[in-house]
Amino acid sequence: MITKPSFFIQLGILTKRLILRVLRRPLAELPNIFISAFFLFVYDGALGGVFGGTASGTPFDFANGNFVNFILPVSIVSASLSGAASGIYLVEDIESGVFKRYQSMPISRWAIILAPMIVGAIRVLLQASLIMLIGKIIGADPAVGTVGFLIVLSLAFIWGMGFAGYSVAAGVKSGSSQGAQAATFLFFPAIFLAPTFVPREALKGWLETAAAYNPTTYVIESMRSVMVEGWVIDVLFRGYLAAGIFAAVTLFFAVVSARKATEKA
Amino acid sequence: MLAVEVKNIKKTFKTKKDTVEAVKDVSFSVEKGEIFGLLGPNGAGKSTTILMLTTLLRITDGEAKILGSDVATEDKSVREKIGVALQDTGIDNILTGRELFFSTARLWGYSVKDSETRTNELLELVGLTEAADRRVKTYSGGMKRRLDLGLSLVNSPEILFLDEPTTGLDPGSRRVLWDEIKRLRDRGVTVILTTQYLEEADELADRIAIIDEGLVVAEGTSDQLKASIGGDVITFSFSNNSDLENAKKLLTDYKQEGNDLRITVQNGASKIPSFVNKLTENNIEIDAVSASKPTLDDVFLKVTGYRLEGSETSTKSEQPIKES
Ligand SMILES: Nc1ncnc2c1ncn2[C@@H]1O[C@H](COP(=O)(O)OP(=O)(O)OP(=O)(O)O)[C@@H](O)[C@H]1O
Ligand SMILES: [Mg+2]
Repeated sequence: MITKPSFFIQLGILTKRLILRVLRRPLAELPNIFISAFFLFVYDGALGGVFGGTASGTPFDFANGNFVNFILPVSIVSASLSGAASGIYLVEDIESGVFKRYQSMPISRWAIILAPMIVGAIRVLLQASLIMLIGKIIGADPAVGTVGFLIVLSLAFIWGMGFAGYSVAAGVKSGSSQGAQAATFLFFPAIFLAPTFVPREALKGWLETAAAYNPTTYVIESMRSVMVEGWVIDVLFRGYLAAGIFAAVTLFFAVVSARKATEKA
Repeated sequence: MLAVEVKNIKKTFKTKKDTVEAVKDVSFSVEKGEIFGLLGPNGAGKSTTILMLTTLLRITDGEAKILGSDVATEDKSVREKIGVALQDTGIDNILTGRELFFSTARLWGYSVKDSETRTNELLELVGLTEAADRRVKTYSGGMKRRLDLGLSLVNSPEILFLDEPTTGLDPGSRRVLWDEIKRLRDRGVTVILTTQYLEEADELADRIAIIDEGLVVAEGTSDQLKASIGGDVITFSFSNNSDLENAKKLLTDYKQEGNDLRITVQNGASKIPSFVNKLTENNIEIDAVSASKPTLDDVFLKVTGYRLEGSETSTKSEQPIKES
């Protein structure tokens, strides 16, 4: 009657359970959605005047006349902050003892760790969709056509998973919600040591160097390329690669930390 | 084949500040189909032992086998055979009892349909059918313990580990859980449980190991342990200190506990008059005297030198007294 469930069935069950939990606390989701949408409006309102349509024909016209296209990826990447809440799910499970129960069962540790990452990525995806909708209303129009929105969303999903993995790893390692929360500080260097508001060519000195090592750079550039320029395959590919490597590294790190988690808890 | 075989296991925790020897040397074996009780006070190393046997903590030294599988090297096959309910119940408060059973059954590999059947069976078994669709948040402590027990049974384990299954429950709920555990044993499940209640060990466990400061200090059936006391226990109570001190000069082989002196003799009741005469002849006033069959409490006192605090049977001493 019992047949050992495959990895994907385990992952599915664990993910479903977490989604159920998120759905039962919907209010917890509001602040992040609000923050990301707020960024979009503020960036567009404050910077759009400088770099937007009026800059047409000047050296500042790196948005090809549509600043919303240029700044939308920043809002999307900001939404990845919500992926950073995923560590909390795992910390809650550690604190409630559910994590230990799972570890005492023949369940893959990868599935235990990947489930909250996927839920984090789904949250990022939903928020990114919402932001994109707002973006479309205020004038976003991808250079590659509507498929550009899907490309940006898929990048957001993978990138969100990486951020979620980072937060899960921090949660597992610290075993406390403070630890998982503190991890969200990575958000600031990730966003601000990147070509967030101007293209990379406009960055100077150490900022240029920092941006070159920041995976966010490649993700933003990749999203931007489909929004502003059109099909630039190598830039696009680098974005997926950066997001994918980031997610893989954080997943691996989280699983390694989980191996030692019960020794401490 | 033994259900559980533990040979000289040891667990040392290294923290930044210091090193804790939580389990120094624990050995015991458990036959299939028996309830084995690990009895000990707070900090004795009970949970640490359970966590090692359930593959949740690495064993620092020594060897443990569950149904012949080595806990350290064959952890996967060990996990398939065991059910575990830890001291901190592993329950997700925001889900309902039914959802918890269902997802646990799915994780164990039951099909959707079988998981539904199993969920209903287990809800019935632990008496939670009516509360099944309520969020666990709303369950009482006793209900949560029963839920936790139920969740550890999903895979019909051959071996069940229960870490302090009744701590914090009222006597009624405790008895319900005891009956549950006995029924499981009668169906062939081997149960290893820990407790800090003498009464629980006495009532429930077929065999008991007393564990103190990371060491097994006594092992056997309740009757064997009591017989090891070597007779009945006579307790003399004194209301003032000088009587107590004088009595100590006259009696040999006593154990002191507060204002009481306890001696162990064969046929205790018939020996009382001669002891009383001897004391009164020396102008020692006795407050009360009684003879009783030895209890596990007496065994505990004998092997550890102090009483198990917080147990229902130890009423007299407030402070555990350590012989040095
Ligand atoms: N992760 C850990 N790190 C350091 N010390 C620990 C750790 N876990 C347990 N200990 C110590 O090991 C000793 C035994 O703890 P354990 O939890 O096994 O006791 P116990 O018999 O289960 O007690 P209780 O009845 O209170 O549950 C205690 O002194 C405890 O402080
Ligand atoms: Mg304990």
